[in-house]
Amino acid sequence: MTAPGGVPDRPLPAPAANGALDVRGLAVSFGSHAGLAQIDLSVAAGERFAIVGASGAGKTSLLRAIAGLVPCTAGRVVIGGRDVSALPPERRDAVYLHQVPTLFPHLTVFENVAFPMRVRGLGRAEIERRVPEMLAAVRLAGFGARSPQTLSGGQRHRVALARAMAARPSVLLLDEPLSSLDPGLREEVREAILDVQHVDRPAVVLVTHDLDDAGLLADRVAVLLDRRLTAGTPPSALFGHPPTLAVARFLGFANELPGHVLADGTFEWPLGRLRPAPALPCGPAIGLCRADAVRPAAGGVPLRITGLRYHAQRTTAVGELLVRRDGQGTSADPPAWPTSVELQVLPGAVPAIGDILPVTVDARDVSVFPLR
Amino acid sequence: MTHAPVPGRTTAAPIPVATGASPGWRGVRLAMVTLLVISAVGPPALLAMLSASQSWFYPALLPTGWTADAWSAVVRRGPLARAVGTSVVLGLTTGVVGCVLAAPIGRALARLHGAARHVAVAAAVLPAAAPPIAVATGLQLTFVRAQLAGTPVGVVLAHLVPAVGVLSFFFFAVFTAYDTRLDDEARSLGASPRQVWLRVTLPTLRPQLGAGVGLGFLVSWGQVPLTLVIGGGRVHTLPLEVMGYVQAGETRFAAAAALLLILLPIVLLLVASARLVRGSAPASAPAPASAPAPASAPASAPTRVSA
Repeated sequence: MTAPGGVPDRPLPAPAANGALDVRGLAVSFGSHAGLAQIDLSVAAGERFAIVGASGAGKTSLLRAIAGLVPCTAGRVVIGGRDVSALPPERRDAVYLHQVPTLFPHLTVFENVAFPMRVRGLGRAEIERRVPEMLAAVRLAGFGARSPQTLSGGQRHRVALARAMAARPSVLLLDEPLSSLDPGLREEVREAILDVQHVDRPAVVLVTHDLDDAGLLADRVAVLLDRRLTAGTPPSALFGHPPTLAVARFLGFANELPGHVLADGTFEWPLGRLRPAPALPCGPAIGLCRADAVRPAAGGVPLRITGLRYHAQRTTAVGELLVRRDGQGTSADPPAWPTSVELQVLPGAVPAIGDILPVTVDARDVSVFPLR
Repeated sequence: MTHAPVPGRTTAAPIPVATGASPGWRGVRLAMVTLLVISAVGPPALLAMLSASQSWFYPALLPTGWTADAWSAVVRRGPLARAVGTSVVLGLTTGVVGCVLAAPIGRALARLHGAARHVAVAAAVLPAAAPPIAVATGLQLTFVRAQLAGTPVGVVLAHLVPAVGVLSFFFFAVFTAYDTRLDDEARSLGASPRQVWLRVTLPTLRPQLGAGVGLGFLVSWGQVPLTLVIGGGRVHTLPLEVMGYVQAGETRFAAAAALLLILLPIVLLLVASARLVRGSAPASAPAPASAPAPASAPASAPTRVSA
């Protein structure tokens, strides 16, 4: 493929041998705005791959480009070993599902699910056999005669998933599949996604701005930041040790404190000293850790509690560390650097505002990034 | 059931409740509604009486004699009945062919952006904005050369000029509001553009297509200059019959023809608006998003599968 303007693309690496989906060097233009550039991703058959990113980062455009619904300005999309970059959406073997399920309003649930089979010219007997199977897979057996308008939000999502799987795609592209749902329905649709994936085991690529959804659904997660996509990593690795400071900031680490890497390789910061791995060059650095990595512990750095934050499933306390730059605790001197820290507290041990808690953090839970 | 005041508590004063508009405003409203009803019902009622009046002279409020000869002519398939038939056929043909031509135009217009959209919409609507007599004059020479002048086909083609203009604008609005995600999803599910058009877009827009046919019908139904010039007096439509009866002083027949001319569009508009309202509303209210799924299957059996 040649980019508009006659500039030849860079040489593209060969797709992975077992990759259901392989995207190399993909670029998408947003009109007058800078679009996506140099997007690489590879997803195996049966794998669930999540792309997270802020609103407006281009997640939907990336999915639509893979589906062939928006043009790419450069790059290659390979599905099932076949280069589909120049093919129209209906010949790509990838089904794209909108954030809000768009069932055809003039068709019954049965006919909606049968739609991909009818447009492929499948026989009546096979359609009558497979549609009930697909509806049963999303726990909607017997709903065939219903009109889409009579379904609840979760049921519409499940019908859309059954319809997508009726096309037997190699790649299923889910655009914010859970974002428009209330918490109860999110669980229902999450299970439906897992259910349908067991039918034909397509590669699933889902985009979301919800990190919890990504962590719960995906085998690997990548972050779309500043027009580029990071390499996909398991959620535990990404959420535990983000690859870059920008990704860490996007993931919303509760605690970001400045420090210094000393000549002996030790990282000194308000929460103490630790030895980062791999070793970092001497100089200023930033340490990040999650709220649940900070624990009350005897002998820790004293933290004066200044506020409590009540989340739906957890409670956190915020406070100021009572330390000077040399790491010696004091209650009199003003802090020499930002010392605001958030930690998760257990329901039976919520401190009062003004309490002083000694806190510590395990070096394995801290990510350190040099500032230069 | 009444409650006794509780000792030791003050009884609250009754909260004033708005009881509606003031008497003066109610009078204005009544007068406006009455005027609206009279303006809607009055002319057809007057024409109905005129069409059946044997004699009706000032200062009598009602006709002094009654006859049904004008309506008998309609029923007996006289010239008036033939004109009605011709107008209906011309109107339906114009409506259907106009929709076939204008729907893709409207769809293409809706996909344009920026200045090109404004220019294209103006160009598409221009034939409807131009005075029909100017259009007729422009078309006549071409139609005479093509031997279409004086033929029903020629008249339909002439009627299509303003009809396609009006309908292009109508379908431009329809496709601007159309949810193209349906088409995207259908493409992604494996449907070719033709299959999307036939299996998704057109069936989804069935109410709007019906309204479009009605709109094209109305453009043709009341058309006089184009019919007169292109038809050359050989294609007799209802409006031309009304003109002819008025010129000949046949008041009863003119009134009967005019009443038909009014009634059919009214019926058509009522049907079209009912279809549009029904088409834009869901068949039944969707269940709330948090409604739990029934544990067991509903009684309705799936589903007749069409071939």
